Amino acid sequence: MMQHESLVIQTTRKDHLVAGFAALAISIHLLESVIPSPVPGIKPGLANLITLYVLLRHGWAMAASVSMLRVIGGSLLLGTFLSPTFIMSLAGALASLLVLIAAYRLPGKPLGAMGLAILAALAHVLAQFLTAWALFIPHPSLFTLLPVLLTAALISGTLGGILLNKIMQRVDTRLSQ
Amino acid sequence: MDNAYRIKFADKLVFMVCACLVGASYWHLWSDEPAQLAIIKGHQSQTQVITLHQDTTLSVTGALGTSSLEIKNRQLRFTDSPCNSKLCIQSGWHQRSGDIAACLPNRVSVQLARNDAARDYDAINF
Repeated sequence: MMQHESLVIQTTRKDHLVAGFAALAISIHLLESVIPSPVPGIKPGLANLITLYVLLRHGWAMAASVSMLRVIGGSLLLGTFLSPTFIMSLAGALASLLVLIAAYRLPGKPLGAMGLAILAALAHVLAQFLTAWALFIPHPSLFTLLPVLLTAALISGTLGGILLNKIMQRVDTRLSQ
Repeated sequence: MDNAYRIKFADKLVFMVCACLVGASYWHLWSDEPAQLAIIKGHQSQTQVITLHQDTTLSVTGALGTSSLEIKNRQLRFTDSPCNSKLCIQSGWHQRSGDIAACLPNRVSVQLARNDAARDYDAINF
């Protein structure tokens, strides 16, 4: 007589936002992974801009969810889950997330998108590099590559931050219309 | 609210500081640090690690015969080898960490290192 109650997970508006942003970040992650790069490790870092956007608009908890979903979802789709690539991706995401949260919480919130994006990009590259060096390529010569990677991170962080300022401006204009 | 998404002073400060640090990383990591150690591998003999700080000459037994090495002014070179091509001798002095001098026919190789013995592998691919 008793029928199985259908299991319904109650979702909130917040969950939908997390899912939407994560989907966006994963899409960008996938697109970026097919762009050829002259040096391994150099990427535009646009997927991380989503994390920063979510941090600025919706707080650190949601930014952390989106970032982790991006790493796991992206690696599952690329087939790199639990591989060295995944571990490096995770290390980079965690480091940039921690630095972002710390920098965002500075008293008086002095930093805008550009400063935050630069710090996040540098933390990302540094953590990935140290992970690669500690776990996979423990050779002193690897450090020759580090300044190049840091330079790329500085440039992509700066441009990314400026881009994000413009994007947020536009989103605001759209929302207020 | 129009001003909310401008580049702030602190952003510029972060940029300047980070640019200086990145610049310093070039200076620090791209300046050629002279090697401190030579890791010498002979044919069927034990690997020996010797310092480059003392000028010396030494002989390493290889597959064909004995190769002679010279260490002078923290540099290292092959001075004699029983091989035909003598490429090891022609490669000249080596002083940078990571440099490798080798005589393949005689199965003798020397790797220069900064201050710790070489790790197990030089690279992996994935």
